[in-house]
This record gives sequence, structure tokens and C-alpha cells, in this order.
Amino acid sequence: MLFLTVAAPSPGDGAALDNCIARIAGGDQAALAQLYEQTRAAVYGFALSILKVPHDAEDVLHDAYLQVWHAAGSYQSQGKPMAWLLTIVRNLSMDLLRRRSRAELVSWDKYQDQLAERPAVTPEERILLSSLLSALSDEERQVVTLHALSGLKHREIASLLGLPLPTVLSKYSRALKKLKLFWKEAN
Amino acid sequence: MPDVEERLRSAMEHAAPDDALDRILASCGEQRTPLIPMTPPARPRRRRWQTAAAAAMLAVMLCGGLGLHGWYGANRTVASVVSLDVNPSIQLQVNRKEKVLSADALNDDAAVILEGMDLRGTSLNVAVNAIVGSLLQHGYLSSLSSAILISVEDEDAQRATRLESSLTAEVDAALQTAAAGAAVFSQTVAPDAQLEAQAQTSSISVGKAALIRQVQSLNAALDFDALAFLTVEELQQLCSSGAPGMPIGAEAAAQAAAAYAGISLTEVYYEVDPELDDRTPHYEVDLESAYGEFDYKVDAYTGEVLRGTADLPASSVQIPAADGILSQEEARTIALAHAGVSQADALGLRVKLEWDDGIQVYEVEFRSGGMEYEYNVRASDGAILDSDWDLDDDAPVSGTSGTSGGSAVLDRDSAVAAALAHAGVSAGEVFGLECELDEDDGRRYEIEFETARAEYEYEIDAATGAILKAESERED
Repeated sequence: MLFLTVAAPSPGDGAALDNCIARIAGGDQAALAQLYEQTRAAVYGFALSILKVPHDAEDVLHDAYLQVWHAAGSYQSQGKPMAWLLTIVRNLSMDLLRRRSRAELVSWDKYQDQLAERPAVTPEERILLSSLLSALSDEERQVVTLHALSGLKHREIASLLGLPLPTVLSKYSRALKKLKLFWKEAN
Repeated sequence: MPDVEERLRSAMEHAAPDDALDRILASCGEQRTPLIPMTPPARPRRRRWQTAAAAAMLAVMLCGGLGLHGWYGANRTVASVVSLDVNPSIQLQVNRKEKVLSADALNDDAAVILEGMDLRGTSLNVAVNAIVGSLLQHGYLSSLSSAILISVEDEDAQRATRLESSLTAEVDAALQTAAAGAAVFSQTVAPDAQLEAQAQTSSISVGKAALIRQVQSLNAALDFDALAFLTVEELQQLCSSGAPGMPIGAEAAAQAAAAYAGISLTEVYYEVDPELDDRTPHYEVDLESAYGEFDYKVDAYTGEVLRGTADLPASSVQIPAADGILSQEEARTIALAHAGVSQADALGLRVKLEWDDGIQVYEVEFRSGGMEYEYNVRASDGAILDSDWDLDDDAPVSGTSGTSGGSAVLDRDSAVAAALAHAGVSAGEVFGLECELDEDDGRRYEIEFETARAEYEYEIDAATGAILKAESERED
């Protein structure tokens, strides 16, 4: 039997993010900037994994931090700041999704072009991101993005997405397999 | 090759906008400071409550009421206003000594709750206990998804905070005793004349008005009066989900489900459970009609029915001839055999034929050896659709069924093997297997796995190997 251990990435440990949110509640914009720096990849990645349209994901990112700014005072620490933040992202994304017509979905090629506008993204990364959007199902994409970027545990991902834990686990392993395969073929 | 996740992380770091911060900070503006810190919801408890507990609380209230004699004039100045909101909204005016000066029902539901109670002169905690008892007796607060909001309005912020925490503890304890499922939220509110006026106009408590203000701070487009019609639970869920819009409300959701089902709401008993903070915000509507019990999932914002059986009168020609289904005895035998319990050892055995989403199902329940068993057996062919084994809370703790405090003697593989053996599946057909040793709650293994046909959850006592919980659900 093979045991695969993946070290959970830490976009800042829970206590540090908690502290950030507490300072934001007190009107500290520097704390908001710090939270943004530590979490923007997870926030953007999760929004993108739901919306599949980069510009929409950027809009959600903008609105999510604004909402954090206004709602930080009502945040009650349960040691899960990332889950709180990503719940806001999910809700804003789902709301946008509801309002958006299906015609706005971007094609694989178009996404490649849009990514090309970002100089920091390497050609390899472009392929990976495109495969994330084209080769995976919505749920697979959300699960693997959350796991890779947010540091949330599978159990927390299950609760955030409203899916049973076994489903999350199987989607996660399928998603990784697909990405690896895609990667291999692309090379 | 570096790990795919690591690559993904780095790709997303590069793809995520790094220039959005300035725009965000520029739009920040003045913070709409929320009025209220909310305590986290109480841990979900088992959905069951005993009338005895509620009666005991009412008895406490009556004894408390006797204390009224001789009390008058001592201190009639209102120091704090405490409100309790479920859907009934009740407001208590309290003096410095924490005695109730008046108890007012702010809506019709509340009038029913307060009927026959004279709370004036009683201690605040006694009054609150009595009200919770009456709420329980009237069927509020029993479900896992219901919520009660306790608000304390007081100029003295310190006293407000102290009262808030003591009342929250009081209500939490009362609900725990009654094994009711409701979550408890609390807040303190600074006196605010405008808020009080708004609350009065809408016949709600200042506490609920403050909660509505918090929702509005997340989404200013939402109308105060429309929000006032929502329950505390809905408002709370709006807060935690960022208030993306105005939900249609429980009544409209029930109407939508009934219309979809092709029946009138007046012909059915129904329950509505808001899930506004779910991934797909929706209302769960449960219709108990002449055609059986049917569940519907209604989009909380559009009213669209997302799941459920349409047009029951047309589709329900399904009632099969009585000889087409299993007998009660057969269903019972199937469940007992699966559990490995003889009929003589099965206590409280109950078999009920029910309609569940258009399928006739026998619900078989019994207790044995410190465990509770629940089965859903399909009436047409005897297939076990789901099964649920759990520790029997009412049973005296025995050596074999209770979790022992000792160290784990069973290793992980043996625990997994025990679960697989019980489920009757081989290791080869299982995926998504997870096994964790839970250190907090006694010492037990929590095991979850899936096969192509079903999902399973087990808890295995790490010291004795006993199965503490077994759940399976078919994936259709």
C-alpha cells in the first residue's frame, strides 16, 4: 500500500490570520494588506475554480477583501480564519455565477491568451492552469485548489463545499491523477 | 517531478492579481462597524427533547413567581432590556437587581408563549428559563437548525456583557438538559433611539433589529422591513454567508414546493428549514401529504425547485397492491439479521411503513446491547437503503459498549478490518478510506470509506474493538 503525504501549505497559520482579522476589525488597513498578501492566491484560486473566468475571479477577490473589511468586527474566532474567508469567497462567487449567463464562459484557448497577459505566469504554469480548468470537473477543481492553496484539511473542505468527506477524498485523488496525466501528456 | 500541488500553488501565486490591493484599500472607506459580537453557535446536539425537562423549567418559573409577594416599588427603573428571539420575539425589562419589571410579547407567536405566565418580579434567569421551557413545549428550538438569539441592551457595557454571558450559559444548559438542537446566539446592543424606533415600527425586538442592521451592513440594498419577516436563523445565516441577496422566505419556499408538487399547502403538514449558508443557498421543504412524505430543495433566492418529485397527484399512481410489498415481519427480520440481533434481545422494536421520496420504506428501530439501530428497508424488495448504529444514550454504561479511557490496543489496520468486515466489503472495492484515532472523545477510531454502491462511516472502540457507530448510505 502506498501512503502519500503532502505537507499542507500554510498561507499563514490560523493564529496569525486571526490576529490580522482582529486588527482589521479595529480599522487597521495595514492588517488588511497583510491578509491580502498571505491569502490572495487561495482567494483568487478558489474563486477561479468556481467561476472559471479570470476577470470574474478578480472581481470576487476585490469584493471579498472589502467584505472582510466591513465584516471583520462580526468575525468570531473559532481558529478557522481561512474557512471564514473562503466562505465569503464562495458566497460571492456563487452569487456572481447565478447572475451570469452561461454564454460568458471562456474557452480553453481564450484562457491561455488571458494568462499570457500575465508575465509572471510561466508557459508551464499556463498549461497547468488551463488543464485545471479544462480537464477537471467543477468539484474536482474546487477540492484540489482548496487543498493545494488554502491549507484546509479535507474535512474542512468537505464542510465548506457541503460535500460528504468520502466524496471529497475520492474527488481529490481523481483530480490529482488527472492533473498528473495531463502534465505528462503536455510534456 | 515536483509535486503537482506545489506547481499549482506557484502558478496561482503568479496568476493571482498582485495589483488589486490599492483598489481594495481605496474602496475601503469607513468601516460599517457591526453592532454585535456573536458567540459561536452551540455544538449541534441530538435532536430529541423530553417534555419532563421543559415541565421542570416551567415549575421553576412558578416557584419563582411566588417570590413576587412583597416585592414592589423596590427598584422600578429599567436598567437593561433583554430580548429573546426565535420567531416569537419577547422583550424583558429588567432593573439593576436583575428582576423583571415587564415581559412583553412583541408578536402573536410570542403572546402564545407568554400566555398564563406572570414574570414580573421574578429573577431574570428564572424568567429566561421559563420562557425557554415554554418555547420548547411549543415545539420551537427542538430542531438542529433552529436558533435563539439573546440580546442585552444596556448603557452599562460591562453589565451588558456579564448578563449576556450568564444568560447564554443558562439557555445553553437548559437546551442541553432538554437535548434540544437549537443553536444559541447572543449579543449586546448599545442603546440607540433610532434602532428602538425601527424595532417598534416593525414589531420586533431591538435585538433582532440589531441583527438586521448587521445584515444590512453586509448588503445595504436589503430592505429593513423585508428582513424583519425573516427568522433569527435566516438572518444569522445571511450574516455568515455575506448576505448576497434577499431570500424568498420560508413561506414562499413552501408555496413553491407545493406548487411544484401539484398540491395545496392547506392539504399538507410541512416543515421548512433554511440553509442560506449552504453552498447552494436553499430551503429544505418537507411536505407530508396524502401521497406520502416528500423532500424538496428550493433555491433560496430564485424560488426554483432544485430537487423533489413533481406533480404528486399524477405520479403517485404508484401505490402498489398490498401483496406487492414485504410484510412488517419480513422487514423486521431483515434488519435484525443484518444487525446480528435476535428478536428476543431487541428492545423497543418499532416498524413503520413510510413513503420516502416516492419509495415505500419500512423504518425499523430497536435497541440492544447498549446500541441503537435504525434501518430503512425498501418495502418492494427488502434492500437495506440505509442503516445507522449508534451508542444508546439512555443505556447504562457497560463494559462492552462504553468507550474505555484506556490506551488503544487495537491497531489501525485491525480497526479498518473490523469496519470492512461489518460492512461486508473487501478492501479492494473500497476507495477514499480514512481512519483517524480520535483522542478527544474517549479513544475511538473514526473510519470513513466509499464503495461504488454506498458511503460508510464507522466508529470503533480502540480498546475493545467494539463497533460504537456504523452508518451506511446507498448512492443511487
